Amino acid sequence: MIAQQLLNGLFLGAVYALFAVGYTLVFGVLDILNLAHAAIFTAAAFAAFSLASMGVPIPLALLAAAVMAGIMGILLDRVAFAPLRARNAGTLVPLISSIGVAIVIGAVLRGIYGVDERHFAIGGAAAAPVIHLGTVRFTTVELLIFLSAIALMLVLGWILRATALGRSIRAVAEDRVAAALLGVDLERTIGATFFIASSLGGAAGVLTGLEYNSATIDMGGPIELKGLAVIILGGMGSVTGAVAGGFILGAVETLAIAFGLSAWRDAILFGVMFLLLVARPTGLFGKRTLRAA
Amino acid sequence: MRLKPFIYAVLLASFGASAAFGAGGPMAGKTVRVGVIADVTGGAGVYGTPQKNAYDLASDDIKAGKIDAGGATVVFDVQDAATDAAQAVNLMQKFTTDGQTALVLGPTLSGEAFKAFPIAKAANFPVMGTSTTAEGVTAIGPTVFRCALAESQVIPTTVKRTHGKWHYKTAAIIYGDDNAFTKTDGDIFARELKAAGVDVVDTETFHIKDTDFQPSLTRIESKHPDVIAIGALFPEATKIIEQAGKLGIKAHMMGGNGLNSPEMYSVAGSASHGTVVGAAWYSGAMYPSNVNFVKHYTAKYGKGPDQFAAQAYAAAQIVAYLVKNGATNKDGMLAGLKHVRVIQTVLGPIGFDANRDVKSSPVILSIVKNGFTTFH
Repeated sequence: MIAQQLLNGLFLGAVYALFAVGYTLVFGVLDILNLAHAAIFTAAAFAAFSLASMGVPIPLALLAAAVMAGIMGILLDRVAFAPLRARNAGTLVPLISSIGVAIVIGAVLRGIYGVDERHFAIGGAAAAPVIHLGTVRFTTVELLIFLSAIALMLVLGWILRATALGRSIRAVAEDRVAAALLGVDLERTIGATFFIASSLGGAAGVLTGLEYNSATIDMGGPIELKGLAVIILGGMGSVTGAVAGGFILGAVETLAIAFGLSAWRDAILFGVMFLLLVARPTGLFGKRTLRAA
Repeated sequence: MRLKPFIYAVLLASFGASAAFGAGGPMAGKTVRVGVIADVTGGAGVYGTPQKNAYDLASDDIKAGKIDAGGATVVFDVQDAATDAAQAVNLMQKFTTDGQTALVLGPTLSGEAFKAFPIAKAANFPVMGTSTTAEGVTAIGPTVFRCALAESQVIPTTVKRTHGKWHYKTAAIIYGDDNAFTKTDGDIFARELKAAGVDVVDTETFHIKDTDFQPSLTRIESKHPDVIAIGALFPEATKIIEQAGKLGIKAHMMGGNGLNSPEMYSVAGSASHGTVVGAAWYSGAMYPSNVNFVKHYTAKYGKGPDQFAAQAYAAAQIVAYLVKNGATNKDGMLAGLKHVRVIQTVLGPIGFDANRDVKSSPVILSIVKNGFTTFH
């Protein structure tokens, strides 16, 4: 049973991590919490559902929804954050404007899709062929979801470490003014950050929708809170921390249930987080390790 | 098949009778306002929206004389509580004090009812729950009625009937512990299974809106129960059953009213086949008004009704019956409700018991490909 539970935790953690890296990336660069991240996560899941229902193959639907989410991210920055940034509005005001955008996105989705749960015609992960590996079992779609999440996080790591854009993002995260003085195009870099972060959040939405064969207007709610927990646990702004935090959260959540404590799941989850944060108040990977990613 | 000509004859007769009374009945020219509190948006929007649809359809049917309200105009003022108990309370306050509303139907969730119904009780105002099936709802006060068969009326029969057929010795229970309805399910299943001499080998809980049940199901599977009792509403129940299928769990599955939705077979597919559902309403029941209701609802909204819709429509039929018998204000409604004997509804013939709970028999259903059938 434990082997199966660890696998369950691994699959769960991968999607938490994918959602959280986008969340933390924006925080690392701008020092703001983008509370519209979960709304974009939801919008992408619905977009993929629509595309799939028109006959678009799932991998293409995932790609298209992620790109759409990225574009939404750029628009989000232009509408909700850039005007406030230009007026030096601090870090709390953008929090409110991002909540506003999240509400608008939710209302638009409700207008288009109604309140009913949407399902992929091909079924979700549970409907896919099952692979038996010793005592554990998982489906091909679950494996695909896991590998996609890992691949996307590796690509992000590569972009941040090895490309000019990555260097610009890390420079802006380190010190926005100094980066601008050294010739980094601030607005372009911030726009690219939003595109990448929102694409990853959108991909997480599609993969979550596929995993559970479900897209609902409020599917972003639970993951928003957990995503926040993950990025605090990992260290605000740390991409590596968000990945580690995602897997830790997935494992703790699963193991709490494995040991017969399902009624205490969330209490245990946040209790463990609290203890880890008492031991390391800046999170597992400290503050702002994005610049060293 | 022999029933068909008889049903058509009854249908024809009922249409004829209603058409004859429709326009010029004893209450012609009267208008009765009914307040409806439903979660059309928010987390419970999937339950409140079918309720709103059912009231809209019932309103059309009263106008067309398909539901006999004695020729009166019945206005269902559907207000959205947005899955917010505070908003349900505000709406109850509004309806019970506006001087125009004669009766309030709803709210959608038991948790909201526990907060909103005490206001109606204090105002000596008649209210009727159509989906608030948790234990204790009608005990709130003497003006609180319920046309939804409570879980406490459905689950004991479900356990008895399944135990009689499957002869299981061990069971596991999985239920949502943050919702009055699903918590009630969990408690009643535990009580009834124990009473039947069944050993409950594991109990797992979840939260409404959870999507991943594999850790809980993996743990349940490790205890090898003969049957799994599910205390959930359909969005979670479909995922529990689908994921149990994926994990290769072979135990029998059963649940209560929350599983009585077309989503069960359309989403969970073959994994749901054989799952037993104890419920207040059977979509395939041949009562004339039910046959019409399912047909017209499906034609109007493009999908079949679920139990939330059926119970709301039944509430509208009860209202029409009361209005036809002269109830036009809150006192008339309250007196009428207290003296109801039997009303023909889409749920079958129903009345109210001394505790103001619906007096009706549960139906025990089994999920088959593309539908439900009665469980034998």
